[in-house]
Amino acid sequence: MTAAATRAGAALRPGLPPLLACLGLLACWQALAHLLTTGGMPDAVATFRELPAILGDQEALGDILDSLRRMALGFAIAVALSVPLGLAMGRSRLVASLVNPLLMVSYPVPKAALMPIIMLWLGVGDASKLLVIVLGASLPVIYHAYQGARAVEEKMIWSARAMGMSGASRLLRIVLPAALPEILVGCRTGIVLSLITMVTSEMIARQTGAGNILFNALDMAQYETVYAMILVIGALGIVLDVAFERARAALVGWSDEPDAIGVTAA
Amino acid sequence: MAQAALIDPSHPPEQSTAPRPAAVEIAGVTKTFQRRTGGTHLALAPIDLAVADGEFVSILGPSGCGKSTLLYIVGGFVPPSTGAVTVGGRPVTGPGPDRGPVFQEFALFPWKTVLGNVAYGPRQAGASKADAETKARGLLARVGLSAYETFYPKELSGGMKQRVAIARTLAYDPAILLMDEPFGALDAHTRLKLQNDLLALWERDRKTVLFVTHAVDEAVYLSDRIVVMSRQPGRIKEIVPVDLPRPRHRDELLLDARYQRYVIDIERLIEDPPEEAGA
Ligand SMILES: Nc1ncnc2c1ncn2[C@@H]1O[C@H](COP(=O)(O)OP(=O)(O)OP(=O)(O)O)[C@@H](O)[C@H]1O
Ligand SMILES: [Mg+2]
Repeated sequence: MTAAATRAGAALRPGLPPLLACLGLLACWQALAHLLTTGGMPDAVATFRELPAILGDQEALGDILDSLRRMALGFAIAVALSVPLGLAMGRSRLVASLVNPLLMVSYPVPKAALMPIIMLWLGVGDASKLLVIVLGASLPVIYHAYQGARAVEEKMIWSARAMGMSGASRLLRIVLPAALPEILVGCRTGIVLSLITMVTSEMIARQTGAGNILFNALDMAQYETVYAMILVIGALGIVLDVAFERARAALVGWSDEPDAIGVTAA
Repeated sequence: MAQAALIDPSHPPEQSTAPRPAAVEIAGVTKTFQRRTGGTHLALAPIDLAVADGEFVSILGPSGCGKSTLLYIVGGFVPPSTGAVTVGGRPVTGPGPDRGPVFQEFALFPWKTVLGNVAYGPRQAGASKADAETKARGLLARVGLSAYETFYPKELSGGMKQRVAIARTLAYDPAILLMDEPFGALDAHTRLKLQNDLLALWERDRKTVLFVTHAVDEAVYLSDRIVVMSRQPGRIKEIVPVDLPRPRHRDELLLDARYQRYVIDIERLIEDPPEEAGA
């Protein structure tokens, strides 16, 4: 009875269960902070009190926006490079056999771990962080574009060929839209990964950015700020993911791909 | 009733007395597939078939006898292993808008609406958006899908998809239609309606049609000639010219002993595969 009622309630308000989960998490946090009573874990209330200070601070806000700008640019570059590459791999065995080994090798490498090396080439500025974000976001996009292009129904391409469509425009006008639902699955993972690499890159190359605030505060034992920044970054992740999911639904509503894709672990 | 139609002088069975040139010439075409396990599979033994310009030829045969494969080869989508196909005297090296396929799997563009799918060919051929859509609307009306213009393929039933696929191919006006069981997913009523539509269209435009079907009555009703294939390997067992006057009317034909004879004979031809011991 109760289970059925809960299910009915969830169906009525789709936003309710996540909200309850968040409240539960906060309650646990609050309780844990009071049980542990270490300086290293401020309670939830104190952390939330810290938020206006961060978001109201011109410099901090500038840093966060700077991070976001870098992340957006890095993600955009990653998509612009990865989608054509993945599609080409999916439609050409030669390209696939050339690129696949490189992907296999780079898959397990944590991209942020390359940061020190990249900094040797490009310095501690924007360029290094941007490159790491591009690297971090690329792999899932390439992989899903590749799978999507491979799965395009042959007869669909034949239909376009029968209409007299050339190979290049088929890639753009048939393979790309046909693979788009799959590409967007990759992009969703890519966007989360670019957020992660953004923060880690700023942890290594401290200059500006959200990660910089977080790790500087950690060094100075300002734990309220640390936790508040974690909240900010987490909230950014959720907002990006929800916004992306909206965009995805609008773009590929025509596809019968399963709608629910959980937040992808990175 | 039937007699009246048979001797109707305004519709002589032979509409043209001039010898028609071959629109499609299939000469010694075989197809061997490479198996994953390493062996080879002979799907088509040498096929020889000439289809006259404006002729309606059906291909009948058991599942797996290579009907689709043969259409793909004529369409230029798949190269033959040996032999050659010429269309209008020119060897086929690839697909072209002179040959319009209707695939067994529909293969609609899922990101396009019904209207967008049907207008795609005319757009590709350089028509303006307005012209392409006018043309597409006309065809959608003919297949009875005017109300579904704005639907996406995933929102359609199998039979509706099939009708969109037919309209999409007709929209770019190919001289030769390569239809692979185009009425397979339709209910009996729509099937009859579309058979009549196809006949009317064919009688008007005199397109060359290669028409794969499993339905013997459909083949007899529509065709000038019926190619009966057998399998392992796929080859032509017999070519049956259908000597029934046109225009054909289904209700009259059903009462016509010659029509019934054709249906029975061809059913026997298909049912009776003496060499298929292992199949
Ligand atoms: N891509 C392929 N690779 C290997 N074998 C194939 C391939 N396509 C078809 N075949 C083989 O060729 C033969 C003919 O297949 P085809 O699809 O042309 O048959 P069909 O007569 O159209 O059958 P149906 O009536 O079921 O549609 C089959 O035995 C099939 O196994
Ligand atoms: Mg077939």
